[in-house]
Amino acid sequence: MGQLFSFLYKYRAFFTFLTLEVLCIWIIVRNNNYQRAAYFSVASGFVGNINERTNNISDYFSLKKVNSDLAEENARLRTLLLQLTETPLDSLKTFDIDTDTTDAVHYRLIAAEIVDNSIRLSHNFFKINKGSNDGIKTGMGVISQKGVVGKIRTVSKNYSSGISLLNSRNQVSAKLKNSNRTATIQWDGDGRNPRVAKLLYITREDNVQVGDTVVTSSFNAVYPKDIMIGTVASVKPDPNQRDLEIEVSLSVDFGTLAYVYVIENIYKEEEDSVSLNNPVDFNE
Amino acid sequence: MSRNLIILTVTAILLMIFQVLILKYFVIFGIGFCFLYLMFLLFLPLEIGFASAMIIGLIAGLIVDLFYNTLGIHAFACVLITFLRPYWMKWNKPRSGYEVNDLPMITNYGLGWFVIYALPLIFIHALTVFLIESGGNQLVGISILKSAVTALISLVFMIAIQYLFYSKAKR
Repeated sequence: MGQLFSFLYKYRAFFTFLTLEVLCIWIIVRNNNYQRAAYFSVASGFVGNINERTNNISDYFSLKKVNSDLAEENARLRTLLLQLTETPLDSLKTFDIDTDTTDAVHYRLIAAEIVDNSIRLSHNFFKINKGSNDGIKTGMGVISQKGVVGKIRTVSKNYSSGISLLNSRNQVSAKLKNSNRTATIQWDGDGRNPRVAKLLYITREDNVQVGDTVVTSSFNAVYPKDIMIGTVASVKPDPNQRDLEIEVSLSVDFGTLAYVYVIENIYKEEEDSVSLNNPVDFNE
Repeated sequence: MSRNLIILTVTAILLMIFQVLILKYFVIFGIGFCFLYLMFLLFLPLEIGFASAMIIGLIAGLIVDLFYNTLGIHAFACVLITFLRPYWMKWNKPRSGYEVNDLPMITNYGLGWFVIYALPLIFIHALTVFLIESGGNQLVGISILKSAVTALISLVFMIAIQYLFYSKAKR
C-alpha cells in the first residue's frame, strides 16, 4: 500500500494531467454535438465489430437448430406451393388476378442475422448485421419465420438496432384470427417473461378461447397482415375491468433467435402520407 | 516575485479579453487563426509546479471555449501543453540556466531561445484543437496545415507584443 502511494506521489504530475484531460473529454462529449456523434459512431462501430466476431463463433453451436428451423420453413413453403397448384383446378372458386404487376409486389424481404439481442430487461432491443447499405430504413418491421420480432429504430451503415417485441414501449396492432377482432399486443415489462405478452382492448363480450391464434392486423404500414404473433394462453375475465385479461404465448422464441427478415413495405410512405394528410383535429 | 505576479496577472487579463473579443474574428484564408492567449501560459515560471500550471491552463482554456462555443476542446489542449511545458523547458535550457526570478520571455532569455521554446508548444496546442474539432481522421492533412499556419501567426504576434510592451521590463 505504501509503495502504491509512493508510486502515485512520484507520478502525481502525470495523474493530475490524466484526471484533467479525462475531465476535458467528458466536457467535450457532453457539450459538443459533432464530437459526441464522432465518439459514439467510433464506439458503436467497435462494439458492433466485437459482437459480430463473438457471434461468428457462437453461430457454429446453433447450426443444428437453424438447420431444423430452415427445414421446417421449407416444408411449410412446400405445402403452400402444393395448395397453390390445386386452386386453379377448383372451378367453383373465383379468384382475383393482378393485372398490374407492380401492385403484386407490396413487400420485399431482406434477410439479416441477429448480432445482439436482449430478453431479460424491461426494454429489450436487438441488433442486426444489415444497415443502410443494404436498404434498411428506420421503421421497418422485422419478422422471423415464426412470427413478429420487432421494428427497426436506428440504422448505421452496416448495422441496425431495433426495438424488440419484448419491449413494453412497443405496441403492435394485432387481431384474433377467428373473430377478426382487432386488438393490441403489448409485452408486460414487469413480468419479464420472454414467452408471454398481453393482448389488450378485447372486451368481455367477445368469445376468446385458449389456443386461438393471434396475428398482425392490416391496420399498420409496418407488418403485412396475418403474420403470426402467438396463441392465446389464458383468458381471465376481470369483473372490475371492461377488457379481458388475455395472455398470449409468443410464437417466436426470442432466446434462440438467429436469423430474421426485415420487411420493406414499398407503399409505406404513401400509406403514412394518407394518414398525415388527415389530421385528428379537423375543423370544417 | 510580486512584480512578476503583477506582470502575469495583467498579461493574462488583457490577453484573454483581446482573444475572446477581437482575435476570435481574426482568420487568415480560413486556415490561419491566432491563439495569442497562450502567451501567458508560456510566461508561467518553472517554479509554479505541475498541478497549478495545469489548473490555470484548464481555466484559461474553458474561458476561451465559452466564447468559441467549443466547450472543452481548448481546455484539453491547454492542459496538454502545460503538462508538456516543464519537460520541454528542462530539455531546452538556455546556456546559463534559468534564473529563479525571471519569467520565460524574450527580454530575459533572448529571441532564439523563445522561438524554440514557444513554437512546438503552440503547434501542439493548435494541432490538438483542430484534430478534436474535426472529430476524426479524415481531415488530418488540413489540420496539420492549419496548425502550422496558426502556430506561425501566433508566434509572430507574441514576438511583436513582447518587443512592443515588455521592452522596458528589463532591469
